[in-house]
Amino acid sequence: MTKTAKHATEDVFSAIAHPLRRRLLDLLAEGEQPVNRLAMPFEVSRPAVSQHLRVLLEVGLVSERRSGRERRYRLHPDRLRDIRDWLATYDRFWQERLTALGAHLDKATSPPARGVAQLSRSPKEGEQ
Amino acid sequence: MTVTDDGIVHEVVYPHPVRRVWAALTDRAALADWLMPNDFEPRVGHRFTFRAEPQGTWSGIVRCQVLELAEPRRFALSWAGDPPLPVTTVTFTLEPVEGGTRLRLEHSGFAAGGPPALTVRDILGQGWGSKLLRERLPALLDRMAAEGHG
Repeated sequence: MTKTAKHATEDVFSAIAHPLRRRLLDLLAEGEQPVNRLAMPFEVSRPAVSQHLRVLLEVGLVSERRSGRERRYRLHPDRLRDIRDWLATYDRFWQERLTALGAHLDKATSPPARGVAQLSRSPKEGEQ
Repeated sequence: MTVTDDGIVHEVVYPHPVRRVWAALTDRAALADWLMPNDFEPRVGHRFTFRAEPQGTWSGIVRCQVLELAEPRRFALSWAGDPPLPVTTVTFTLEPVEGGTRLRLEHSGFAAGGPPALTVRDILGQGWGSKLLRERLPALLDRMAAEGHG
């Protein structure tokens, strides 16, 4: 049985705010892991690690499945993509507004029906 | 867009003199025309609100305060969108260049708030999030797609 959950992007922010949970995600980036192996590197109790895994499970960053007697966890990186997309929303917002500023400046100085301002983007475009 | 440790940066060159660009940044009607309807006043400390049409999960409301007005070179305002996103800072810097004005927009301060903000810094900065997102996420997503999960 595989369990995942859909939650708001903000919950993902909170979920990865904890350094131990980020280390768990790093371990899971190597591939699916049983809970015993995930708990090994940490100087906290296994129930505590399970509780952190529960948080990651609730926001959909990991999924859980039972394999015989053990629980195995797997990373779902598409939730991290949501965060990247959230930042991209700000990027698009400013890109559109700054283009509108160019049009505003042209409108204020030229006869109507002139084109928008020439835009020169930062050379590091595409960084999202 | 450029990603800094603390936010995002856009640079645009407009074929207009610095003073004209400055006027478009610091006038209520001009801001309404290219940014959003507002009750801005060009006075440090003035609190004002941008009100746009709600879009998706965004209320369309941004609460702001004028932080710096160094005519005609630098204009900074605080920028508070919907909770729980942190109160951030938007800074416009104007520089005369050949043929016009280079406008630098920096939207920063993602590291200044509570725990959610710290994670944004992690994502934007050189830390864990950045490494995972920039170096490993594309490969992980490819792998998922190849395995039929994406």
